[in-house]
Amino acid sequence: MDTFLQQLVNGLTIGSMFALIALGYTMVYGVMKLINFAHGDLVAGSAFVGLFAFSQLLGGKTSVFVVVGVFLITIVIISLLGLVLERLAYRPLRTAPRLSAVVSALGASMVIQNGIMLLWGPQMHIFPELIPSVIWNVGGIVISLMQVLIMVLSTVLMAGLYFFIEKTKVGTAIRASAIDQDAARLMGINVDTIIATIFLIGSALGAVGGVFIGLYYRGITFNMGWQYGLYAFVAAIIGGIGNIPGAMLGGILLGLFNAFIAGYVSSTWANAFTFILLIVILIVRPTGILGERVAEKV
Amino acid sequence: MDGKVLILKNVTKRFGGLVAVDNLSLHVKEGQIYGLIGPNGAGKTTAFNCITGIHACEEGSITWGGEEIRSLPPHKIVQRGIVRTFQTIRLFSQMSVAENVMSGRHIKSNQNLWHGIFHTPASRKDENDNWKAVFDLLDFFDLEKYAVHTVGALAYGIQRRVEMARAMAIDPSLLILDEPAAGLNDKETLALVETIYRIREKGVTVLLIEHDMDLVMEVTEYLTVINFGGKIAEGTPDEIQKNPAVIEAYLGSEDDDF
Amino acid sequence: MMKKLQQIGYPLFFIVMALLPAVLNSRWLAVATTFVIFTIVALSQDVVLGKAGMFNMGQAMFFGLGAYTSAILNAHFGWPLLATLPLAILIPAIFGILLAGPIIHLRGDYLLVATIGFNIVFVQALQNNLGGLTGGPNGIFGLQMLSIPGMGSFQDFTPYYSALIVLLFTLFILRNLDNSKAGRALQYLREDDLAAGSIGINTRIYKIYSFALGAGIAGMAGTIYANQYSAVSPEAFDFIQSVLFFTIVIVGGSSVPGIIIGVFVMFVLPEIFRDFSTWRYFIFGFAMIFTMILRPRGIWPAKFGRIPKAFIKKG
Repeated sequence: MDTFLQQLVNGLTIGSMFALIALGYTMVYGVMKLINFAHGDLVAGSAFVGLFAFSQLLGGKTSVFVVVGVFLITIVIISLLGLVLERLAYRPLRTAPRLSAVVSALGASMVIQNGIMLLWGPQMHIFPELIPSVIWNVGGIVISLMQVLIMVLSTVLMAGLYFFIEKTKVGTAIRASAIDQDAARLMGINVDTIIATIFLIGSALGAVGGVFIGLYYRGITFNMGWQYGLYAFVAAIIGGIGNIPGAMLGGILLGLFNAFIAGYVSSTWANAFTFILLIVILIVRPTGILGERVAEKV
Repeated sequence: MDGKVLILKNVTKRFGGLVAVDNLSLHVKEGQIYGLIGPNGAGKTTAFNCITGIHACEEGSITWGGEEIRSLPPHKIVQRGIVRTFQTIRLFSQMSVAENVMSGRHIKSNQNLWHGIFHTPASRKDENDNWKAVFDLLDFFDLEKYAVHTVGALAYGIQRRVEMARAMAIDPSLLILDEPAAGLNDKETLALVETIYRIREKGVTVLLIEHDMDLVMEVTEYLTVINFGGKIAEGTPDEIQKNPAVIEAYLGSEDDDF
Repeated sequence: MMKKLQQIGYPLFFIVMALLPAVLNSRWLAVATTFVIFTIVALSQDVVLGKAGMFNMGQAMFFGLGAYTSAILNAHFGWPLLATLPLAILIPAIFGILLAGPIIHLRGDYLLVATIGFNIVFVQALQNNLGGLTGGPNGIFGLQMLSIPGMGSFQDFTPYYSALIVLLFTLFILRNLDNSKAGRALQYLREDDLAAGSIGINTRIYKIYSFALGAGIAGMAGTIYANQYSAVSPEAFDFIQSVLFFTIVIVGGSSVPGIIIGVFVMFVLPEIFRDFSTWRYFIFGFAMIFTMILRPRGIWPAKFGRIPKAFIKKG
């Protein structure tokens, strides 16, 4: 029972991170029907930018203000980068065949990944210990301040996003654009602005996720983007790609699944199990847990 | 030999809460030129989609030559000799006219999957025979000069002919035409009438949806009129023209070219 | 002009390729050999992605299945490499059929992700020394290489020429495919799946066929690849490699010249610029983006109008 609850805690923590990253994928896919392959690399970049912000800009000594500063600086820089990414690699290909946009996304991924490598080198870097290592022992289960922080902050952000999407005018415009871009345009929605907004928000959330990855795993490398990106994308699909609550749900579920496989079965097969789960879901229920089936008029 | 007769009995198709085809019954005799008409949105194309296997209709039966074909997928319907054209032309627009018509020869060809890897004398002969059939058809539809042209770049009227040529390449017993005159000018429409007669002369039954009333009255022998998915009248063109329910359904738009 | 290019192009290409070993040092000969092998794999990817239009990003798996089949039979059971070839074609093809079956109906992006998934599962199975056969993360090495009798001192060139022969064979098969009912069916179903079904094509069968054929060809390339290094290892077949093959077909274009250009651009160029190693992929990414913006259908896209000359009377 102890292991179960322990894995539950670990799983929820990792799941929260996956959820934050998955939201970026799902928002872009919902409106543009495009897999933003470069998203994972932006997340990886966030960890490095956070590292840079801490050591070069904020003096290298931690405090609450510094931690907030690291998050804010990273969010700003990565969000801007997300906007540039959309403008450069995706907007020119709006009317091109889908496959061309996919390759452009892959190219963007390469640019960002190698950009990181050019700036910081190919070796692993250690993310600073910004959060004091406080651990609580609750009835045999170990929870760290870090884990609590990650879970709480992620929940707050996701709740905020949910509110934004469901209750605000911009959020409604996003949902409209996801259903039918042309109809949305006819209703006076500036779809270009909406898409830019989506990239901004998705990248911002990814930035938080990236800093979390740095804080939690400590070791960061320039090419770690694909691994987290792919997992987050699986999470988005499980929850229902294009569906925002779905991405949150999918992220949590995948984190739990991953933790339990690693804890109870074997960690060397964790990857394989995750993707077998993905394939099963794609065959049995491709629209995911919360996704809707869309009919096509002939 | 079983007469090649198409019978729809109480066919119903729903999309969620919307009833697109409502209890439709009709009987197309072999060699007839039969028309299905009705105002826009009446459910005509949906009925065709049910016959050709694109939609599965929930209730009713569709029999062809005595066989129930209601739940067959599109390619199996084609194998049984029923071929359709589309309201929006669905040609392979990046490919040439000849290749498009050649696609119609697919089920007529004897090649199997291995012949995609290694050719045999038999497969080579099969290729030759089918290309010959294609060019015979191009000749029939007066398309020979466009053989190597990219279909997507051609005028609308010519694309329509290519689509019909492709349909005829399959050697159908029943040809279903979905608004074949849409977008054609008067001269082209006259040529279409001629073509439909020539096709019928080859022994093909024709079932068509059309809004151009001149064409319908001229070329069809029997009509079913539907509105809101259900049949409101059936009869010869003369009978239909005088039918008050039909006139009411079409109120004010008897000569509807679009 | 295009016809002339085609008539001169192919023989010229093969003459140049046949003479290359005379002018290349061993490092560049290895690059050239891999270039040929990757061209074969990219051509196999084109069958599924270019011709049939299926978003397949897992071709490296079939490449690896062929390579590992040959390696296992050679290293564990002592089969001569040449004898492993039929199974190296058959086993990937069978996997192609089995794996494509359940996922072939999926919409583009979902299919893409499913194929990535299969690839990842495959590589992890290799790394975990499945059944004690696959050798773990270091792979299998010490394979007995192919030897063409009578080559004498030119034995070093055997990997290269075996690859070239397989490429020739592949081009022959693909030429047959283009001029066949099956080959055309793939093009039709790619252009418009619904229309293809509505004229009688059983699109499901042909989609699975394209996977199987692509897998078989990739498997064949796998044997030659195993031969080149007399070893196989998991990271040569991970999904990043699949991304490479996928990109080659889209950037180069779905045609034989396009694929050759694609492999050259995506594989040989980075080798040439190895000295600028830190910058090359960075620039590369930009090149990919710009190529797609300027030439969305690839550098040398597919051309249609493949009609037997005998039937075209008027010009």
